[in-house]
Amino acid sequence: MKHHDIMPAGQVGRSVPRLEGRQKVTGRAAYTHNLVLPGMLHAKVFRSTIPHGRILSIDTSAAAAVEGVHRVVTGEDLRAIVAEPYFGPAFHDQPALALDKVRHIGEPVAVVLAEDPYIAAEAARLIVATYEELDAVFDEVEAMTSSAIVHDVLKPAGTFPDLKHLVGKRDTNIALDYQLRRGDVDAAFASADHVYEHEFKSQQVMHTPLEPMVSLAAPDGDGLLIHTASQSPSFVRIEIARLLGWPENRVRVKVPYLGGGFGAKLYIKLEALVAILALMVKRPVKLSLTMEEQFFTITKHACTFRIKSAVSSEGRVTGRRCEVYWNGGAYADIGPRVTQKSGFTAPGPYDIENVSIDSYALYTNRPPAGALRGFGIPQLVWAYESHSDMIARDLGLDPVEFRRKNILREGRPHATGTLMHDAEIEGVLEKIAERMNWSAPFDRGEGHIKRGRGIAIAFKASISPTTSVAIVTIAADGCASLAISTVDMGQASDTAMAQILAEVLGLATEDIKVIHPDTDVTPYDMATLGSRSTFHMGHAVRLAGEHARRQLDELAVSLGYAPGAAYAPRDLFKKKYGMQAGNIVGVGSYIPDYTSPAPKTGLSDNITPFWMIGGTGVEIEIDTQTGAIKVLKLINAADLGLPLNPKIVETQLSGAALMQYGFTLFENMLFDEGQLTNGSLADYKIPGLNDIPPVIENHIVDARQTTGPFGAKGVGESATFGVSPAIANAIHDAVGVRLTELPLTPESIFNALRAAKSQAGKA
Amino acid sequence: MYDFQYLRPATVDEASRVLATQPDARPMSGGMSLLPATKQRLSHWSAIVDLGGVAGLDEIRMEHGALVIGARARHVSVLSSSVVRAAIPALAELAEGIGDPLVRNRGTIGGSVANADPAADYPAALLGLGATVVTNHREIAADDLFTGLFETALEAGEIITAVRFPVPKRAAYAKYRHPASRYAVVGAFVAETAEGVRVAVTGAASHVFRVPAFETALSKSLSQDALVGVTPAYGDLNADLFASSEYRAHVIGEMVRRAVQACLHPSTPSRNA
Ligand SMILES: Cc1cc2nc3c(=O)[nH]c(=O)nc-3n(C[C@H](O)[C@H](O)[C@H](O)COP(=O)(O)OP(=O)(O)OC[C@H]3O[C@@H](n4cnc5c(N)ncnc54)[C@H](O)[C@@H]3O)c2cc1C
Repeated sequence: MKHHDIMPAGQVGRSVPRLEGRQKVTGRAAYTHNLVLPGMLHAKVFRSTIPHGRILSIDTSAAAAVEGVHRVVTGEDLRAIVAEPYFGPAFHDQPALALDKVRHIGEPVAVVLAEDPYIAAEAARLIVATYEELDAVFDEVEAMTSSAIVHDVLKPAGTFPDLKHLVGKRDTNIALDYQLRRGDVDAAFASADHVYEHEFKSQQVMHTPLEPMVSLAAPDGDGLLIHTASQSPSFVRIEIARLLGWPENRVRVKVPYLGGGFGAKLYIKLEALVAILALMVKRPVKLSLTMEEQFFTITKHACTFRIKSAVSSEGRVTGRRCEVYWNGGAYADIGPRVTQKSGFTAPGPYDIENVSIDSYALYTNRPPAGALRGFGIPQLVWAYESHSDMIARDLGLDPVEFRRKNILREGRPHATGTLMHDAEIEGVLEKIAERMNWSAPFDRGEGHIKRGRGIAIAFKASISPTTSVAIVTIAADGCASLAISTVDMGQASDTAMAQILAEVLGLATEDIKVIHPDTDVTPYDMATLGSRSTFHMGHAVRLAGEHARRQLDELAVSLGYAPGAAYAPRDLFKKKYGMQAGNIVGVGSYIPDYTSPAPKTGLSDNITPFWMIGGTGVEIEIDTQTGAIKVLKLINAADLGLPLNPKIVETQLSGAALMQYGFTLFENMLFDEGQLTNGSLADYKIPGLNDIPPVIENHIVDARQTTGPFGAKGVGESATFGVSPAIANAIHDAVGVRLTELPLTPESIFNALRAAKSQAGKA
Repeated sequence: MYDFQYLRPATVDEASRVLATQPDARPMSGGMSLLPATKQRLSHWSAIVDLGGVAGLDEIRMEHGALVIGARARHVSVLSSSVVRAAIPALAELAEGIGDPLVRNRGTIGGSVANADPAADYPAALLGLGATVVTNHREIAADDLFTGLFETALEAGEIITAVRFPVPKRAAYAKYRHPASRYAVVGAFVAETAEGVRVAVTGAASHVFRVPAFETALSKSLSQDALVGVTPAYGDLNADLFASSEYRAHVIGEMVRRAVQACLHPSTPSRNA
């Protein structure tokens, strides 16, 4: 379509304001929460009060007797519709309502359906369940050897080849044991000048999307229509169709805007339950969680990471052993993917000859853990970048210098054997060092206010192999609609995808209509996760646009235009059909190349379609009297290729960093024998406007993803990576104490100061 | 399902009568504590007697040299009152540090005092300043008012109408706030009064309490140096998800030190940590 002279290109790379901004600020944007259907019933979940036990009885009679209650349903009742109502992306281990056993406090055991949500809630309080309590296990390391077994038999879903060997396994809590072996790590330790070994712990936290999870299912002819706040409409459709034994086309999944997702709304969550209930009562059923119920639904993995390094006296890391234990909670969700996909990056963005990684996904009797912005990377970086500083300090090396000596550079092999390309690890490190003014003298504070600074760098591989499909429809007046199943959950994917299409078609971004996920209309997309959309869907949209453009060009030639001559599409349609009529449909489908890791060694020559690089620098202040910490400056830098939309990139960087900032300084799900003790925002602190650092900088490092659409790649998580260790490193810099457990609370800093003082007193 | 009556009497007498005849009725002031507790089914009342219709109950004035704050005076009124700022600026600063703007716009001093939340701020000021609580029946010295966890000497149906604060020579409040709720993890109110220095601590135990060891030391010399080496023995201190009792014990000392510092140098910010 050669009408660039009519409508200039330059759509990509422009800070186009979000297309949906006006709708959102004027309160007109549609959310599933606001959706009401005629005849709709409200569901309220009754939850387990014990961490592990066999269900002996569930008495629903009092609840059923409440006026306005339509029906009370238990797990066994669901079997009338679906004999084996177990779902999950990696394992078919999670029942829509507990069957036989409960595996964590807060697990759904029964559900009340009522005309009114308050009646449903009131009635749910009247349900009484009795259990035979079983021994429970809560800690991920204990789960390795515990006699308390969360699942009697492992039930991998069959989708992932590396889980097949687990089929039917008994008496284990290990849902995946991933390993990588490169070189000879034992020899490296034996011949090393220095060996360092440390253990780090990350805590369980919650995504806290401000729109809590919500799903609504309605019978629809001989099919089912599901409205849901989901990040993965295509997966929901496939999984519901599997459960019901239906073809995909009888299940229709619609997703409007999301009020945040962060990984909480991935794969399948409430959808299986509302789908079965709707078929059971033949009415629409809506389940809206409260903020507090989300704590029991999906969380971020707690993690223990033991890291050991062989280091030469010059400060080169020659060998590294990583043992990572992921606390997956009671259901696997996507935990085994976290274990593998993040696991292979556990040694960090460093050039290390000899590497050994063991990464374990573990079942415990805690609420399930899944994907959360970073997909396991922040837990790993927390360990390896704290470890980096501890080594550097011990060797008397500057932390930046130590990293310079060890980072993976262009063309060098990563631990998997994949050669590094388009990965500006150095660029990110140098940008942070420059913005921190690292080589200049630093004000260390006075009196009981001490100042310090710290940095961290990290990388992440994109999840692979995954597919995206896009459909572009050009109408007879020349305007374009884009049908994709990418979910705009606040990250502005609508805008970015419209920019790509506009660039290809020579239209204005603002004139493109992006059709929201509706599986009857929008084609397959693996999911909106792992910062994959820009790259994968971006390519699919580009291909669909090019496909449409080719057809227009061909149409022009067939109508007598000289090849390459300028035309306006609307003239082509008019000429062809004699009036404003017809369509051109362009289709694009994209899946990158990938080599899956060899089972025993974990090696692969093509482990990821692209690398995301992120780094953080902070300046902090500690009040040694109370341990109170203030972050004065937060610098984020990332390699995201060429930015499609610099302004949106900036908000992704600051947003990601601040989210991890909360996980670093305050957020912590606290448990007492499996019982969450701070499951409300009155106790569980998330960052607010008053908490954010006075200075935040976001830097897009000079880079280009040669394989990306318009040189771009993902950016939604990159600024989460380094925040925790950068702050811990800064604390050490300020007051000389090293914290190895998150979060970094004033009391933990204070206690470490006390311990250091009494240690010094003894010496 | 949980029925209750909502009443809005025009006078304290009328409110007293309802409360006297209905033992399960409860007065409501700002509702910032009563309503959440009711919603969460922590408490249930036959009637809620809204004091919002009683005229004059929110007055703030000087009377015989003392500062009198009506029970219905909202936190925002106290923090912005020129009368309060002139007489006891520390009290205005304390009010400024309560919760968030929404809470300050509705919550009241009477409600806060009657509620006797172990982590509330006002009780520290009442005890620290040696205030007197005026009710529909009598006057109660702050020293006699706070008796336990959410417990006061108020009798059923007794309504606070005002709090009377003697004006100190100097006073300051230092607060270490909970990051999520913003209540006091530890709050220390230090006042130099005609009878000597008073030190009241909130957030750290089941209810607000005085610290005689600090009072004695500071009465000799109101200075940070006077605190050096003073290590009061506390009874049972709170240990919760945010702070252990050992940490609290330490933070009490630090907040008292900061409050003393702020007494000596009123321009230094004392409110927050
Ligand atoms: C999010 C949040 C944060 C908060 N943060 C803080 C904080 O940082 N510091 C702090 O100190 N407080 C804090 N509070 C509490 C707040 O100050 C409340 O306003 C206060 O505790 C109660 O005042 P109220 O006027 O709302 O009382 P209500 O809720 O109306 O009543 C509370 C109790 O007092 C009784 N009562 C009310 N008035 C009278 C009266 N005149 N006579 C006798 N009994 C009466 C009621 O029956 C009830 O039992 C916070 C509250 C919230 C919701």
